[in-house]
Amino acid sequence: MIVLTEIAVEALAALRWVFDPETGLNVVDMGLIYELCADEATKKMDVLMTLSTPHCPMGQSIVDSVKGRLAMSYPDYEIVIKVTFEPAWSVEMISAAGQEILKR
Amino acid sequence: MYTTTHRAVVPFYVYAGLAFLVATVLLFSGAGEFSGHYFQPHILAITHTMALGWGTMIILGAGHQLIPVLIEGELYSIKLAYISYLFTAVGIALLVWAFYIFDMGWPAIYAALLINAGVIVFFVNVLMSIVKSKRENIQAVFMLTAAGWLLFTTIAGGLLICNFTENLLPEGSLHYLSLHAHIGIVGWFLLLVIGVGSRLIPMFLIAKYEHPGLLWSIYGLINGGLIVFIFIFLNTVWPVLYGIPLICIASAIVLFGIYCRQAYRVRIRRQLDDEMKLSLLAVVMMVLPLLFLIGLIITLLSLSADVKMVLAYGFTIFFGWLTAIILGMTFKTLPFIIWNKVYHARAGTGGTPSPKELFSGKVFHFMAICFIIGFIGFAGGIVATNGMATRIGALLLLGCAVLYNVNVFKLLLHKDVML
Repeated sequence: MIVLTEIAVEALAALRWVFDPETGLNVVDMGLIYELCADEATKKMDVLMTLSTPHCPMGQSIVDSVKGRLAMSYPDYEIVIKVTFEPAWSVEMISAAGQEILKR
Repeated sequence: MYTTTHRAVVPFYVYAGLAFLVATVLLFSGAGEFSGHYFQPHILAITHTMALGWGTMIILGAGHQLIPVLIEGELYSIKLAYISYLFTAVGIALLVWAFYIFDMGWPAIYAALLINAGVIVFFVNVLMSIVKSKRENIQAVFMLTAAGWLLFTTIAGGLLICNFTENLLPEGSLHYLSLHAHIGIVGWFLLLVIGVGSRLIPMFLIAKYEHPGLLWSIYGLINGGLIVFIFIFLNTVWPVLYGIPLICIASAIVLFGIYCRQAYRVRIRRQLDDEMKLSLLAVVMMVLPLLFLIGLIITLLSLSADVKMVLAYGFTIFFGWLTAIILGMTFKTLPFIIWNKVYHARAGTGGTPSPKELFSGKVFHFMAICFIIGFIGFAGGIVATNGMATRIGALLLLGCAVLYNVNVFKLLLHKDVML
């Protein structure tokens, strides 16, 4: 579930520039972002995300990419990333737009 | 998140690439010998360069990287990975040289000891990683069992070498050659490639497909078939009974083909890259050695063993499906390892090439063409006893090995670029 505050919508748009290296899809369309909460009062952004495969060799880079992109767009925010495998990612989590790209 | 450092993985890839090059140089220089008996120093040297230097080394390297993915936990020891590399790297080079000059004295004995030490270290590393892991899955069981069969193969190989000079076994070493070879081919390569492939192929196809029941059946058929084969071989019971392990292994390969076909059918990604095409071709190519084996059994029952069939059988395994899947999967794994090494610190800042852009797609394409035509030419040359076809085939396979190494070194020498 993605909590859509105004700043969260902008942050999600920023995350569309972070790509899964294997599929070429961005992490949002890939369905890797489970929650994104931005608190403007405390200047804190919490991201709950997953990876397509636990302990995937690229996993840490994808997580760092998400953090790096948000830190670049929101330098005054504290970015906290949590990785979960509950629920485990599956191909149904790819957005309709993402599935269309892969079907081409 | 656990990933194995590239330092414990990349040396295996480099060694394997160079071993493939050496094997194809030996194949080209000795192409004429493929019209004679298979028990010749140069053919033994080529076979062990392919089986150990190429196939085993790349699987050991990729295995260290894949264990955390398969068991969802950490590799037990990076130090053991380095030790395993040192032992096997020296041992394999020494063994190939010993076979080439056919000196079964100290070079071959020390080589066998070193290889066995390296394999024991790898087996312990896999076993302890699985023991430490909280999660169990079928692919990890495939890998552990395959590592156990590898150890069995290398111990048997060591005994066969000692048997040349010490008469340890009731029969000569040539008698046990097919036992040693089949434990390695079926127990190590086939079991491991199917186990790891059952995870990687649906993953790269982006297919939601799992069928643990089918994979357990395959596991049972391969291991059951191999145990029955060993029993029949050692007890020299009626040769027709060899049909039982043949049916078991053939059924396992067909079931794995069905597994891959199902994953292919439900895949989301429609366009396949060249690396995946070659990997899927490898699955289809698994049937070829079976056809030669059936042909061999038919000639064995009616006349005597057809040497051409034996050579073609071995060739279609080591230069066939095993090489095809390594060629494909190298460029589905190594670019990511190198990307992580070079660009990890710049993750998310943009301006980095994708892992796929770190090697040349064109070179890969020509490599695949050289491989396919070279493979058909050489296998056809063996069957038709056509020296020209085997030489052209060997030259194309040499070209394939050169192009493979060009791309591997392009990856290894990649420097940070800002796009």
